[in-house]
Amino acid sequence: MHGNEAAAEGAIAAGCRFYAGYPITPSTEIAEILSGRLPEVGGVFIQMEDEIASMAAIIGASLGGLKSATATSGPGFSLMQENLGFAVASEIPCVVINVQRVGPSTGLPTKAAQGDVMQARWGTHGDHPIIVLVPSSVQEAYVLTVRAFNLAEKFRTPVIVLMDAIVAQLKEKVELPDTPQVVNRPLPAESPEAYKPFAFTEGGVAPLAPFGREYRYHVTGLLHDEHGFPTEDAEVVSRWWRHMTSKIDAHLDEILQWEEALLDDAEIALVAYGGTARAAAHAVTLARAQGTRAGLFKPLTIWPFPEKAMRELAGRVERIIVPEMNLGQIRLEVERLAGGRAAVEGVNRADGLAITPEQILAAIMKVSRLAA
Amino acid sequence: MSYDRRFATTWQLLLDSICTLMGLDANREPPIVLSSLPDLPYQRSGREGAAPLSFIQGPPGRNIALAIGLRAAKPNTPLVLIMSADSITLGTNHLIHAARRNIGMTLLLLRAEVTAAAAVDSMDRAGWDMPAYQRELETASRPLEWASALGASFVARADLEDPDQLAHLLHRAIDTPGFSVIGVTAGAQLQMGVLSENAWPEYFDAYREWTKPLLRLAVAGSQARAAPARSPTHVVPRFEVRIAGLGGHGVKLAGTVLSEAAGFHEGLWATQRGDYGSATRGGPSVVDVVMSSDPITYPAADHPDALIVLSQGAANRFAKDLKPGARVIIDPAEVSSLPAGAIAVPITALAREHTGKPIAAGIVSLGCVAALTDAVSLESLSRSMAAHVPRAIAEKNRAACAAGYAATRAAITGGVHV
Repeated sequence: MHGNEAAAEGAIAAGCRFYAGYPITPSTEIAEILSGRLPEVGGVFIQMEDEIASMAAIIGASLGGLKSATATSGPGFSLMQENLGFAVASEIPCVVINVQRVGPSTGLPTKAAQGDVMQARWGTHGDHPIIVLVPSSVQEAYVLTVRAFNLAEKFRTPVIVLMDAIVAQLKEKVELPDTPQVVNRPLPAESPEAYKPFAFTEGGVAPLAPFGREYRYHVTGLLHDEHGFPTEDAEVVSRWWRHMTSKIDAHLDEILQWEEALLDDAEIALVAYGGTARAAAHAVTLARAQGTRAGLFKPLTIWPFPEKAMRELAGRVERIIVPEMNLGQIRLEVERLAGGRAAVEGVNRADGLAITPEQILAAIMKVSRLAA
Repeated sequence: MSYDRRFATTWQLLLDSICTLMGLDANREPPIVLSSLPDLPYQRSGREGAAPLSFIQGPPGRNIALAIGLRAAKPNTPLVLIMSADSITLGTNHLIHAARRNIGMTLLLLRAEVTAAAAVDSMDRAGWDMPAYQRELETASRPLEWASALGASFVARADLEDPDQLAHLLHRAIDTPGFSVIGVTAGAQLQMGVLSENAWPEYFDAYREWTKPLLRLAVAGSQARAAPARSPTHVVPRFEVRIAGLGGHGVKLAGTVLSEAAGFHEGLWATQRGDYGSATRGGPSVVDVVMSSDPITYPAADHPDALIVLSQGAANRFAKDLKPGARVIIDPAEVSSLPAGAIAVPITALAREHTGKPIAAGIVSLGCVAALTDAVSLESLSRSMAAHVPRAIAEKNRAACAAGYAATRAAITGGVHV
């Protein structure tokens, strides 16, 4: 199965029944496959005029009760930022799959990159919570897309599946669960009169009631009270912020996922994600064969970043190497969390070529000599 | 915040009209209102708690696109968009495409003189919220004419000075399937009433009709999707294959057939990655397949065990960094300077001989690969081909694959190296 195909099938399995998008390399197969698969399951596919409209349409469909998604690459992801912010502010679940290519601007359309990591975190204006998942295999493209829908529904937030063209354009064997666990939207327990669609519950969210019939409410991108009416009352706004941040922060155990390999006795840790994690895993094997104790830390949730685990890792290894197909976006985060306890360096390229195991191995050997 | 008198009146009037609609017919779905205009009058009336209306205050200009998704999810709910100048300047693209597709929603376009204090005689002939000099310099936006020309179901103009007519037109617009627009002016000396009507089907109604046969297909075919997993029949250490040639050699198809032969029919783990460039024919084309009985970490064949070279460019680029003991197979008809130790197999000639087409070069190459490793057999390649090669030419392709196998075996055992 192909990485983009796995994401498309993951969306169907998770219950996605609406897709709006504008095809763009290297994500096009997702739109192509869903244009056939969605009608087969009674869903709706629509090719929109642009990515601004695509993002708006999936928000509308989600509010109307359909699990919804769009897919794009860097140029389209830039256009989506305006409405992505609206979905964050109005707490509407939806999934955005960004298959990264080399940027900025039109960049290198068919070449792989991981340059949108910070954009996925901070692309829309204003402070905001967000969840970003990063698959490194075709299997994970499926599993994490299902998970993205589940987290979106559970925490009423947009979730971004941040793929890269290596994983998206890779074909490999997968073993898919027959029926993945799927989170569906609960109905509110309250009557329409008592229902607060944007209730400020510490560490939770109100169920998103079916919009437009018995439950009538106001949905806005303006900061709002628990009923959804705009407010400029600083006290209400600060309660809104507590609600927005705590709904994610109180559930980090559930949201954060990472994998560790051969870190127990490691002196050198690789921190790698997405397509680059594949080369890193291979580099670990090569380094071990030469007697160097290397291990791999692979985040599957990249935002929020697994901060506690990274602090712990920095306390038990001497050196951390962060290979990424960008100029060092996650390295900054790792450096901040290592706080000087482990030396951090990057292996970086953003020229459209994949980082090879040999490049990473060379970096491991260099720091290994420094350590010795 | 206080409202301009006419602004507040407009809101009240429109919302009253919509609420009347809700009250008139208990069987009708209540409408959803979308607008990025500021605060609602009813919020200021001291009412707390639930809103009397479902209301979306989307980003300026984007409500039309938002309504498209909402329409897909809620086929029977009237969607009423109340928009002013910013929605036309920021949202023109969305308006054009929603009108062209005839997506079911009703737009109330408030002319500038409705929402702003400044009264201008006729905004149809001027711009929207523009300063006077700009109105002199620019051609007017004519959204009602655009919508009409693009095939919207219902286009009308109403004036606030005749609220009964406005309410009547609004109800008609909502009852007309498809995209409807009503321009709302204040005291303008213009023609009021229905400007145009079309009988196009509403987009999502048409979509649902069109997809009904697909829905039946899915029910019938749902069992066919699951393929039984097979465990490996033999232990295969990581084996990397790179096939490199030009677009038109069938390189991508070869990669698919090989990776699925290994993955599905040999029970191995297999990955396939390609760089097919942007040209479909004549440009460089390369595919990497990695096969192993263990899960595969790095999915590229940077140091192949088997390299199949179908062009001079591929020879120059890839006939290096080989794994020790690697086999390189080249097509002597395509490659003039041959890497040392390479095995010559007339791949494109065999492709032509057995299928009449050079595009089978990739399939011949797979026969060569099968001769170099026991990771895949001719039998599993043949079964994999059945899923990707049209039945009419399957036999010819099987013969081409077998010919590649035989030529490679002969070259290895006969020691025909270049």
